[in-house]
Amino acid sequence: MRAAIIRKLIVDEHNELFDAQGMRYAEFPSDYSRVRDYARLLLVECPHAFREDGLLGQQLSEIIKNGIKHGNRKDPKKRLKIWYDLRKRARFIVGDEGDGFQELEKWNEFFMHRQLALQREDFDTFLGMASWRGTNSDAADGGNSLFAALEYWNGGMIYNERKNKAGVVRWFSRGSQYA
Amino acid sequence: MRASDCKDIVRLHGECDLYSAAGFLSEARVLMDKGVRTMLVDCSDLIYLDSTGVGAIVRILQQMKSLGGSVFFRSIKGPPRKVLELCNVIMLLREVPED
Repeated sequence: MRAAIIRKLIVDEHNELFDAQGMRYAEFPSDYSRVRDYARLLLVECPHAFREDGLLGQQLSEIIKNGIKHGNRKDPKKRLKIWYDLRKRARFIVGDEGDGFQELEKWNEFFMHRQLALQREDFDTFLGMASWRGTNSDAADGGNSLFAALEYWNGGMIYNERKNKAGVVRWFSRGSQYA
Repeated sequence: MRASDCKDIVRLHGECDLYSAAGFLSEARVLMDKGVRTMLVDCSDLIYLDSTGVGAIVRILQQMKSLGGSVFFRSIKGPPRKVLELCNVIMLLREVPED
């Protein structure tokens, strides 16, 4: 049997992914109807090679959606703060004004069992665990954005101690030519 | 199983995202409520899929399984396929070839 390598969401307040020096900054109201617009705005000057047929925009939209919906609870008075850097790689820090992802450890536990079911090809169990349902989940939630995020953000996905700010980075082949 | 063997088809057009996935889920549920137990989801024209769309697919799979039926998928390609791979849900999908 192959050993399973299962990623985790990590909390590390002082991780280098939270160093915003030299990054650009944008701030948005918590307008749920504009989630994908905000992602498009941030990627206006993004190198074509980083876009990967829209995959970067999709994954960025997921983080923005989580901040607006689960973090700020769509409260128009609360803002979403985003630092971004598209030189050599795609790097973002996204912070909201919410109470943070307090079920992070529970999510890690869930993800581990989900991936173990997949590894042993127990597809009945895996189907039952295909979506995460947290305390604040509603019927409209897909419940799988963080599963994909852990794979997509290949340079890391880190949360601050309050768990209301995430730092992510994706590296690309020959990305350094886009300095 | 070939795509032409299935008469009950849900076609995904364009974008299946946080604003539109509920319509897809609703359409599939109407078919299941009518007694359909073999359904084909045609993704030929699907260009964008996000986590809400993936969640809708998972719900349809779960509901159809509880009813003892089957869901098949056709022409999952490009970024939507990549999204399904990233969250491993692609492993759950029974894909049929083009006719």
